[in-house]
Amino acid sequence: MITCLIDTFFPEVGEAMLKVLDRLGIRVEFPAEQTCCGQPAFNAGLCSEARPLAEHTICTFERLPRSLKTSEVCPVIIPSGSCAVMLRHGYLELFADDPIWLPRARALAARTYEFSQYLVDHLGVTDLGANWPGKLTYHPSCHLLRGLGVDRQPRLLLSQVHGAEVIDLPHPDECCGFGGVFSVEHPELSAEMLKRKIGNLEDTQAPTLVVGDTGCLMHIQGGLKRQGRSQRVVHIAEILASRDSVL
Amino acid sequence: MTPKIFRERIRTSIADEALQAALDGNAERRCQGRITAFASLPDHSQRRQRAHAIRLEVITHLEDYLSRFITQVEANGIRVYRAADATAAINIFLEIASSHNAKLVAKSKSMVSEEINLNHALEAAGLRPVETDLGEYIVQLRGERPSHIITPAVHLRRHEVGALFHEKLGIPYTEDIPVLTDTARQVLREVFLTADIGMSGVNFGVVETGTLCIVTNEGNGRMVTTLPPVHIALMGMERLLPNLDDLALFLSLLPRSATAQKLSVYTNLIHSPRRSGDPEGPQERHLIIVDNGRSRLLSSGLQEALLCIRCGACLNACPVFREIGGHGYVALDGSPAPYPGPIGSVISPGLFGGQAFGHLAQASSLCGACREACPVDIDLPGLLLRVRAGKAPTGTTETSTEAVGIPAPLKTGLKIFRLAAARPRLFGLLQQAAGLGSRLLSPRSNWMRLPAFTGWGYSKDLPRPVLKPFRNRWADLQHESLHEFKKSDPPPVSADAAPPSTTGLKEQFIQELQALGGECLPCTRAQLPVTILSLLRVRGIERLLVDEAGAEVLSASGLELVRTPDPTCRAGLTRATAGLADTGSLLVTGGAGDLLSASLLPETHLAILNISDLHASLPDVLNTRVVRQAPAAVVISGPSRTADIEMTLTIGVHGPGELIVLLVDDFPTL
Repeated sequence: MITCLIDTFFPEVGEAMLKVLDRLGIRVEFPAEQTCCGQPAFNAGLCSEARPLAEHTICTFERLPRSLKTSEVCPVIIPSGSCAVMLRHGYLELFADDPIWLPRARALAARTYEFSQYLVDHLGVTDLGANWPGKLTYHPSCHLLRGLGVDRQPRLLLSQVHGAEVIDLPHPDECCGFGGVFSVEHPELSAEMLKRKIGNLEDTQAPTLVVGDTGCLMHIQGGLKRQGRSQRVVHIAEILASRDSVL
Repeated sequence: MTPKIFRERIRTSIADEALQAALDGNAERRCQGRITAFASLPDHSQRRQRAHAIRLEVITHLEDYLSRFITQVEANGIRVYRAADATAAINIFLEIASSHNAKLVAKSKSMVSEEINLNHALEAAGLRPVETDLGEYIVQLRGERPSHIITPAVHLRRHEVGALFHEKLGIPYTEDIPVLTDTARQVLREVFLTADIGMSGVNFGVVETGTLCIVTNEGNGRMVTTLPPVHIALMGMERLLPNLDDLALFLSLLPRSATAQKLSVYTNLIHSPRRSGDPEGPQERHLIIVDNGRSRLLSSGLQEALLCIRCGACLNACPVFREIGGHGYVALDGSPAPYPGPIGSVISPGLFGGQAFGHLAQASSLCGACREACPVDIDLPGLLLRVRAGKAPTGTTETSTEAVGIPAPLKTGLKIFRLAAARPRLFGLLQQAAGLGSRLLSPRSNWMRLPAFTGWGYSKDLPRPVLKPFRNRWADLQHESLHEFKKSDPPPVSADAAPPSTTGLKEQFIQELQALGGECLPCTRAQLPVTILSLLRVRGIERLLVDEAGAEVLSASGLELVRTPDPTCRAGLTRATAGLADTGSLLVTGGAGDLLSASLLPETHLAILNISDLHASLPDVLNTRVVRQAPAAVVISGPSRTADIEMTLTIGVHGPGELIVLLVDDFPTL
């Protein structure tokens, strides 16, 4: 699944993920009916608006062809921690009292993976032959870290990137202040949290911050741009897809 | 939408540099402290799951547990009342007070008393309630409410406390924290000794034994439950644990989460009022069990919030609390929320209605740091989402609405987005339109500078939507050759930390006691009188409080031995029933022949501990006959302490500032 933020703002992240999966010999489908998982409305507490999008998403991925070899339903891979949490946990909450949709939501949740989680836990791959010369530092997105418990996987993948020097980000597990509607409804709080995150990034002197969620990417990069800073925020898929120092 | 007053409070908090410094200090030290404290508990994640299951069991069958608890507490001689709401609780309190002609109420910390606004009601009725926890005393003098569940004055710096004490207590201005603490000690000592009623909260009620457990560091929780003739305890109806073994589990979690201690200095276990033959203790104990919205919360979608043990860890971990502090959380009308932080943003709307407090739940990025810190694994982000979704009780007869705290334009925006996103073709067209439109707005840069009122534009730029979204690129992307990758072995999972090396109980006890600021003097029984005499001589002390064992040891010493709670004695000597090696703690019991005041009132507490009474840890001694049968007992972990002013550790608040354990190997066993 390509999230609506990637689709609309950062298609290169989706392309990078495809490149990586393709190199691993995995055939990827992109059901064009997909749009948004419904997370923004769900997080705002607007469940009546989240439900139609969740139902739409469940239907979209139920229609996927089964694998020819194993006849298993193919996994749904999402390059975003928070959208993966939405499919894996949010839908179960959304349909908790719905005997029709709950089993369908459960079936989708069971085959949904975040990208780095899929690579490391499911495929057992850590070295993708990626090449990224220079210093990197990693920001563990809250939903990825705490919602899915995924932290070891992206760090392991980054540690295998050729040429990259991975520097520890101070206070890594502090939220960057995005939080979906929170960043719009509480701009003052969001700004203070962002300020701290950017301060920690400055301390590392790394020119590149790696994230696993385009929500954080858009937020932190937006703050850096506003402050006229030169650091780049890059999705982990882009790092893993890079072969030469072209990016 | 976000009430204006809440937004203003957020802005003024962020702009307040002293507050920001105080909150930064709190967040950094408390979080690191908690992590360090849990490092000494290798199986803490299993304990957390067990704790969750136990609390869930209790609240699922709450009425059943409550009725058994009440039966047991009454059998122990404590009078029990159930209050449906704040007014009922206050009336019960006032009735007890008037039947004793009471004027002065010495209060130890109780969040329930804040919740029902007890002080205000007592003052209106002509009583004088005095907070005795240092932090609570400070905020009471300032006419404020606590800004943190555990550290009520966390929002203040030392100069503010210095100015306050100068103004209200007439002492010369000082920023010296020990001097400030000692001033409070002296003022409040008088309150303890003259109060008509001692009032406390309850950390845990134990169903099987009817135990009221109260943890305290300064010793005020012991004072108010030991010295005044009447003790009234206020308890939220959900604060139950099935038995003393469960209590031991929770006592391994609560102090670590709250104050990074293995145990609080005083773990008070209360069973009954003074019995005939007891030298001390209140003649009457009353327990008021408060509902005040809890039953309604229990039957709502937010019931998991009732698992909370009020440790405050989620406040310390929360990045929003770190910006606005406890006073930042306000109701629609600007009145302070009774409970701050992430748990408060669930409990406040849960108890008092989504209309008044629901907007607080929007002040969270749902980062989950609160859940991670919670010792009973409450799914706080999940509960905040439920408050947002309108699942908090409304507090009125109106039906709840969705998206609590979200302004109408944003709701409309989300609705329009949904209408489009449910139609993929339309969605694609709108994406392209947005890509084109944004180029009109921002022709040169990929990042657009939006105005501040949009929210997003307040501190960051927005990327331009691309002209060719991913869905339009998909077709171009399907031509690359396929490679087969061999699956590599998953990396080994790192082994759990090795268990701590087993040093002897004695060595471990001495080490832990010293770490708490206590002293240990090993000696023989024959050497005891001489050792004690020399300790007292250097301190110039000739009369002291003693229990029966202490009196026996010093019978021929020529010292004046006092067997009743006399506040003028500067030292106290008691026998410790047991010692706990892993926390350096002492178990001291009350009752006939004992004297709990001897370990509480004087500056120096001397305790005799027999080596054969040393145990590995709290669970070994908590669920025993000697504890169950004591009218009151206490587990003492070091000298009395506080960190209520700027989190600066100060020794000797209300209880003894000095704890000396005389470790003997040949005392007759109990």
